[in-house]
Parts: sequence; structure tokens; C-alpha cells
Amino acid sequence: MVKVESREVTRAEVEDFLYREAQLLDEWRLDEWLTLIEPGGRLEVPTTDWAGWDATTAGYFVADDYELIQARVKRLKSRKAHAENPHSRTHRMISNVLLLEAGAETVWISANFLIHRYRDNGAYTYVGRYEHVLKVDPDGLRFRLRRAVPVMESMDPGARLSFIL
Amino acid sequence: MAQQTPVRPLGATGAMIDEDWEALRFRVHRSAYRDPEVFRTEVDRIWNHTWLYLGHETEIPKAGDFKTRTLGGRPLIFCRDADGQVRAFFNACTHRGTVLCRHSEGNTKFFQCFYHAWAFSNSGELAALPGDDAYPDDPAFRASMALRQVPRLQIHEGFVFVAFDPDVPDLLTHLGPAAHYMSLTAKIGEHGMTTLPGVQLYSVKGNWKLAVENAMDGYHFAPTHNTFVGYLRETGFAVTDDDQYAYDLGGGHGLLVLTGHNGRIGMVWEPRFGDEEKTRTVTKRRELEARLGPELAAEVADASRILFVFPNLLLFDLEALTIRQLEPVAADRTDVRAWQFVEVGEPESVRALRIKTMVSFVGPGGLATPDDIEAYEAVQRGITATADSVDPAHDWSDMSRGMANEKQGNQGRSIDEGAMRSFWRRWAEVVGAGTSVAGDPPAGTPAAGPAAGGAGK
Ligand code: FES
Ligand SMILES: [Fe+2]
Repeated sequence: MVKVESREVTRAEVEDFLYREAQLLDEWRLDEWLTLIEPGGRLEVPTTDWAGWDATTAGYFVADDYELIQARVKRLKSRKAHAENPHSRTHRMISNVLLLEAGAETVWISANFLIHRYRDNGAYTYVGRYEHVLKVDPDGLRFRLRRAVPVMESMDPGARLSFIL
Repeated sequence: MAQQTPVRPLGATGAMIDEDWEALRFRVHRSAYRDPEVFRTEVDRIWNHTWLYLGHETEIPKAGDFKTRTLGGRPLIFCRDADGQVRAFFNACTHRGTVLCRHSEGNTKFFQCFYHAWAFSNSGELAALPGDDAYPDDPAFRASMALRQVPRLQIHEGFVFVAFDPDVPDLLTHLGPAAHYMSLTAKIGEHGMTTLPGVQLYSVKGNWKLAVENAMDGYHFAPTHNTFVGYLRETGFAVTDDDQYAYDLGGGHGLLVLTGHNGRIGMVWEPRFGDEEKTRTVTKRRELEARLGPELAAEVADASRILFVFPNLLLFDLEALTIRQLEPVAADRTDVRAWQFVEVGEPESVRALRIKTMVSFVGPGGLATPDDIEAYEAVQRGITATADSVDPAHDWSDMSRGMANEKQGNQGRSIDEGAMRSFWRRWAEVVGAGTSVAGDPPAGTPAAGPAAGGAGK
């Protein structure tokens, strides 16, 4: 449990938030997922050689500002997003949730993820760690920064990031 | 009744490229993407005997910096020695062949093998030989055990190339007119250009030549990248395919020059770059003109370019810049590495804009490249349909778009398939694949790039 200025946040609340997010993504309910991102929020996936650089100084796989997040959702909902038409089947497992640090109105959390993705008779595994900054609202949590850090040495054959990691 | 397409013999002496200037047909036999035998021949004839792009010297800026990297299937050390010289070594201990350096990057004076603790300086000399009393007491012995250098290494504008064959011609001879386009890109930054950390490493389930074709293929842009084009439109920018051309640079190298494709950070403004960048574009353009003169500045700045340097380098000089390296792993698998390439000393806000903009397009997590990857992989799966003796008449991929235009002597457009045809001709020549040519190819030499002063006709 940590305390931001306005209220307390428990690990159970963060876990619930991450599990519900995973469900929305696995079910491709992207409009609902978008409401979990605070306007002005960011979506990031650093590269596999990442050593803590931020997305203003180093190459990334994904470095979306809020406009690009919206464009990404719009694209993924289109039948013309060929890489995700048909959609991949994804199955997300989230564990090892830690509340790292409380800010004035945010909490910085980490969690491990294991995502299985299936498409075109191929099976792909994505292993990594979330390092999110969550905005603490009176009645819930939202992403200020949603960062998925892959731990693989490179993206395996066919393991693209056409979906939301 | 459908006309029967003649079947041509295949195999060592058969044609894999079928070019017919009467029928205006150019096609490639699909075994070229599929056959492990073809792949082995490529490794032998191309990767073992051609200049290959290894990396950029800004990846190893300081003495002792190193990266390890597999090239043409061979593990290498790419490093800068104590005197600042760029070097490439086979990453295998000369004692019994252990991978010498097992880190992907770092800085070191010595590479020490863990197995029996031989150590080599970063210029390759055998520096430590534990228990050397049991070896010949002779400097010639130590010299014979020096780390093996890749036979050839040359640098053009910071782009480091190596060759495993000591007898390849000079790098500049190999690059031909492609060297000029690399130089144009190198001139963008007032204080030079540099690669950034944050390298995109990914792998695709497709033949490496599909990645080459895709980069030289303006025809796919509108349908494949429909959602990206839609996104640009919403930001207030209309993409056009007009007035864009493809050039055969010889030696298998190709160039697309794209004028209405996108803005160019610091050079051609588009709305998604924002107002601050609009002002900077004006200033930056003045800087380019003062430094390079108006003509060269226009050539550097006005049009986007996609340059392919045979066989493994793609230089995307678009809204921002990316260096992409192709590493074939098997007939149906290619490793891809991509670096952001940026101006040295540019303001932080521009650097951030550049990374955001480029990454929103390219790479496995972009809004566009995943659809290209989908294309390579869907082709690789699709071409199994006609394989072997099941449907030999249709086991060909067609690349004839724009031949009529080319026959009339017009400059090929980016949305034609001429750049692919020139790649494949060179490929066939190097691997010794049979080519069947019927009819009269267009007379005259194609332009090796746009005429000075803008995109040519
Ligand atoms: S194999 Fe390297 S020291 Fe023996
Ligand atoms: Fe593309």
C-alpha cells in the first residue's frame, strides 16, 4: 500500500486494474481500453537493448504520445490494419505486481507479463515487465505512462508488435 | 480458353528470371524465395563475396568500444582499437574456436576467451597466452595466433562495410552511384550524423529478398499502408504518388525518390511536425543553403529517398532517417536491425520529434511496418501453394508493372516495379541463376539518379 496526496492505493487495486486492462486487450475492446489512458498519456515499448534511455534520446519500438495512441487504436479497429486483420489471439498473464513509489497524484508500479500470441498457425511468446506511471483518480486509476519493457534479446521470428503489448 | 504459359526448365541451368520485352513480362520463379539450395548458393556467391554493410562508425565512437554482430551468418566483433581505428574480427578464439566475446556491446582493451584464458588486444594481437612455456618460444607463433581480421574493411561517410573475400573491388567501385546518395544523407546535419542507441532487433518469417522488394515497391504503399495514409490525412497531410521515380543505380543497388510522400524534419514541413518545427525548417534550410549552396541543398533536402545498397543495407531518408540491415538466416527467415539516424547536436525537442515520428512509421511496433511484415510473411506462406510439380506454370511472381513505360524510354515511376527488376537481374548474375530474355530490352542506359535540380523525368 502507498499513499498519494488524495488517498491510499493498494496492490489489490493495482492488480485489479492490470487484470481488467489485460482482459480488454485480449478481447480487443480497444475503445474501452483507450479510456484507461489519461489524455496526454504515453504508450512506450523500448527496444531490447534498452538501458533506461527515454524516448526523446533513443530509438524505441513504440513511442506514442496521446495523439498517436488514438491513431493506433483507430488503425487497429480498421479492417485495413492488415497485420491485425484477422486479429491475433492473445492471452496475457500478469504477476509480481509491485508498488514502487508514490508521487503527488501518481503511483509508479511494476509487474511482470507473459503474453502468448497466436496467428497463422504460429505461436509467439512475449516476456517482459511493465513499468507504469498511474494517475490516481478519486474513483480509479488511469495510465499516465504505459511502458512495456521486453526482456527478450530480440523479437523472435514473426513476433511483431502489431498489437498492444 | 486461357492461354497456356510456357513452362521453363529449372535447376542449375534453368531460368529463374523470365524477362520478355514482347509480352512485357518479367517474372521470378518462386523457388528463389523458398529453396534451401538457392539460399546456400546466395550465402556462398553473395554474402561470402560481396561488400556487406556491417555498421556505422558512430555506433563505436570511443577507443575500445565494441559491438558483436552476426553478418552473413558469421559472428563478428565490430570495434574501435586503442588507436581509434575501426576494425572487424571474426568472433572466434584462434585457439579452439570459442566465441571470444559473448557480450553484445561494451568497451574493452582486451578480449579474453573464458575457455583457456587467451587474451587479444582490441587490435587483434595475442596479448596473453597462459602457460606459454609449453608453446614454441617464437614471436612467429604468437603472430600466427592473432585474432583473424575480416579480410576487407572500408568506410564511406561513416558507413562501415566489410567483405569476406579479399579480392572484391574497392568499396567505392562497388557502391557506384549509390555512394552519392549516402553522401547526400550524410550532409543533412550541420555537425554530422549519428546513430542512436535503441536498436530495433527483430526477425521476420520471410526471405530477405521480399524485404528488398518491399522497400523498392511504391505500388504497395497506398493499399498496404491504408491506415497510415489515413492517419496522415487526419493530421492534415495528403500523400501522393505523383512525380516519384525509381532509379537503377547499377550493381543491384536501387533508389526511390519520393516527393509527395511525406514531410522531412528540418527540410520539408508537414502539419504533424508542429509550429515550432515550421519555423526551424526555414532556419535549417538557410543553414543548408549557406553550407552546401542552393543546388546541393535542394538535392539534400527536397525529396525523400529510399536507397538500397546490394545486398543488405536500406537507408530510409524520409520524415526522419533509419538505417536498416538485413541478415538472412534461412530461405524463410531474415533478421532485421534498424537504427535511428539523426543530426548531431540538434535541439532536444527536434530529436524527440524525430524519434516519435520515425518510430510511428517504421519497425515492428510502428503504424506501417507491421503491415509490410505481414506482406513478407503472407507471401512466404502463399508461395508454397504452387510449389514443386503441382502447378509449375504458375509458380512465378510477376514484376512486370511499368515495362511498357520503360520500353518507351521513360523514367520508371516509384509505383512501377523497375527497381525490383534491376535488383533481380543483378541477383541472377551474382548467384548464377538462369535468365531467359526475349524481345528487345529498351535501348540506352537508364539514368543513375535524378538529374541535378530536382526529381528527373
Ligand atoms: S578456445 Fe579460447 S583460449 Fe582455448
Ligand atoms: Fe511498406
